[in-house]
Amino acid sequence: MKLRFESSVEEFRQEFLAWLADNRPTAEEMAADPAVSSAHCPEWAKRWTKRLFDAGWLVPGWPPERGGRNAGAHETLVYLEEMSRSGVPRTTNPQGLGIVVPSLLDYGTPDQIERYAMPLLHGEITACLGMSEPDAGSDLANLKTRAVRDGDTFVLNGQKVWTSGANYADFCFLFCRTDPDVPKHKGISIILLPMDTPGVTVRPLNEIVHPQHPDLNEVFLTDVVVPAANLVGKLNDGWAMANGSLAHERGMVWLMSVIDMEMGMQQMLELAPSILEALPEQERAVAADDVVRCYIESHAVRCLGYRGFARLVKGGSAPEQALMKLFASASRQRLARVAAEMRGPDALESKPQRSRRVGTLEDYFGIFGSTISAGSSEIQRNIIAEKVLGLPRG
Amino acid sequence: MDLELSDDQQMLRDNIRTVLTGACPPSLVRAVHEGTSDGAELWHQVVDLGWPALGIREEAGGVGLGFVEVALLAEELGRAAAPGPLLATISQFVPVLEEFDCIDLLAEVAEGRRSGSLAVAEGSSWGLHSISTVAEVTADGARITGRKDAVLAGSQVDSFAVVARDRTSGQLGVYLVERSAATVIPTGALEPTLGLADVVFDGAPAVVLAAAGVEAALERVLQQATTAMTLHIIGACRRVFELTLDYAKIRVQYDRVIGSFQALKHRFADMYLMVEKANALGYFAAVAIAENDPRRAEASHMAKATAGECQRLLVEDGLQLHGGIGYTWENDLHFWLKRAKAGELLCGSSLHHRSQLAAALGLISEVNV
Repeated sequence: MKLRFESSVEEFRQEFLAWLADNRPTAEEMAADPAVSSAHCPEWAKRWTKRLFDAGWLVPGWPPERGGRNAGAHETLVYLEEMSRSGVPRTTNPQGLGIVVPSLLDYGTPDQIERYAMPLLHGEITACLGMSEPDAGSDLANLKTRAVRDGDTFVLNGQKVWTSGANYADFCFLFCRTDPDVPKHKGISIILLPMDTPGVTVRPLNEIVHPQHPDLNEVFLTDVVVPAANLVGKLNDGWAMANGSLAHERGMVWLMSVIDMEMGMQQMLELAPSILEALPEQERAVAADDVVRCYIESHAVRCLGYRGFARLVKGGSAPEQALMKLFASASRQRLARVAAEMRGPDALESKPQRSRRVGTLEDYFGIFGSTISAGSSEIQRNIIAEKVLGLPRG
Repeated sequence: MDLELSDDQQMLRDNIRTVLTGACPPSLVRAVHEGTSDGAELWHQVVDLGWPALGIREEAGGVGLGFVEVALLAEELGRAAAPGPLLATISQFVPVLEEFDCIDLLAEVAEGRRSGSLAVAEGSSWGLHSISTVAEVTADGARITGRKDAVLAGSQVDSFAVVARDRTSGQLGVYLVERSAATVIPTGALEPTLGLADVVFDGAPAVVLAAAGVEAALERVLQQATTAMTLHIIGACRRVFELTLDYAKIRVQYDRVIGSFQALKHRFADMYLMVEKANALGYFAAVAIAENDPRRAEASHMAKATAGECQRLLVEDGLQLHGGIGYTWENDLHFWLKRAKAGELLCGSSLHHRSQLAAALGLISEVNV
């Protein structure tokens, strides 16, 4: 146990910070053309992605030809810390960079890597992840979108929902059923679907805050024809790959949630003194206690996350991944609620741009999705109970 | 920041756990609860193993390990609900002796010839500001008059490190008083294995360990005592968790083990999360203390506050999910329920530590207690 990283890791941090200071997109650039969905890549973001790639700062743990510099796990950790704190998004297509590309590099053909993964790493295209369906949310294996082999093609029919960024993505990493006659986990495959293929209809689902900038979508597939060469990995092997993909997602998300919680807490601490000052004295201590509880939680999120990371680096299993999803999402939600409720009617303000300012109900509702998406809190509890604690399935 | 145990620390933890499984079985804890043993045999065994010497510097005959290792031992003692003066000695007495460079006394502790506890709390306050116990310096030492409450292992230790105020200067100091020179009133009958006692000093002869300028050192000592108690509570909570989980895997109702019901599964997931997060914060405090990091005060407040939240959930859900069987004296569960609850009341409640944080963050004005 120790509080500080090795000095070589701290030197790596300084090297990145120096590069970042010289190369980051300006606040004006970003504000003039903001990314409005998780697969929207404005011009500045394209240039930024390319710049990161060329300098080996896009995925530092990968080799230079894939946008990295063969950095170790601790180096990657401090890189992600600093990137998150900088206020510059590492990518405007997190699922593409964090899930789709790693999966393609693991399971894709050389041609798929050339045509889909590399352009994404160069900031030329973006991807969305076609998993959930109306009857396959938490129960993903129940998905019904069909892919039927027809000569050198697959014909796709079905519907996806909650597909983040489908309204801007260039292609979809699509989970579909290729064998309906076997147990449901065993008949799922992954197919790469260019979103401009005839028969693909995207209908945005406006959300409860900022409905003018929807990120979630329904995707309807009607007799969509894609080349058979777009199959990723082996036929009917999609379930195993899905678990691989989700591991990629978890592996990246926990640190973001730590930083997000800390930045939220920082804002709350800036906000709190003036709000508390204005409260009647008898309310002040009660409100202060709410703030203190959030403060403790923001540290607990960090401690739990970093311990899980240390276990992963040592090669052990880390139940912290599911714990972190459950805990960090709920903690951030609580922080948003406490800050907004403490602030009073001003918390009802609504700005045209998505903002992550704590102390607004916009932030509260905006953050609320984190306990629902990517495996709801209830599903995380099931995973912990069954996979970690060994309780039997009901 | 690396909060995972090193290989050596893991080995030490496993070693302690194995020893305690044999030397401190639930039957021993029960015997103390039922008044048929005072647990003294456990003290002799841990002395033979050199455990009191764990955190003592090597020049005084100690093992010279850091505070993380002390915290590990405190946690395992909680997991075993161990009786006796070891927890007080390693987490309260030794830190005082280390702070004031009492080499000879440290050597006695290292050899197992002396156990001790910190006598600081008065009333329900563990702070230094409200101390009214007084010391009068004499030709050959000092005489202490006053009353200290809830002294850990107060009815078991050989000596007390008493925090008292000089009658003339008003300065806080630390004084060594032998138990035989004080009136020890056992308290905390619901949790007799902690040996809690109120201790009354009526002109008790004392050795001066430090007569003035002790505040900063005592704060560091209190951080160690608090953090060790934090891990101790978490150890007890982990045992409650394990017992409850085991029970849910064998208790059958409606032809299914009750652990297969989702209503229970989700509570187990929440309990597990609670223990793990409290544990992570507890070791953050421990390592901050071990490295003498500036965050050590804040970290120990956060850890104790979270241990408080942890015991609340684990005691309630542990007892509730055991159903009637956990409510019986014959079942061992209550040893850990009581240990965890008692820990909340010692070294400052979670309420106290949250209020300290609120003041440190500038959210409320500083209150001196």
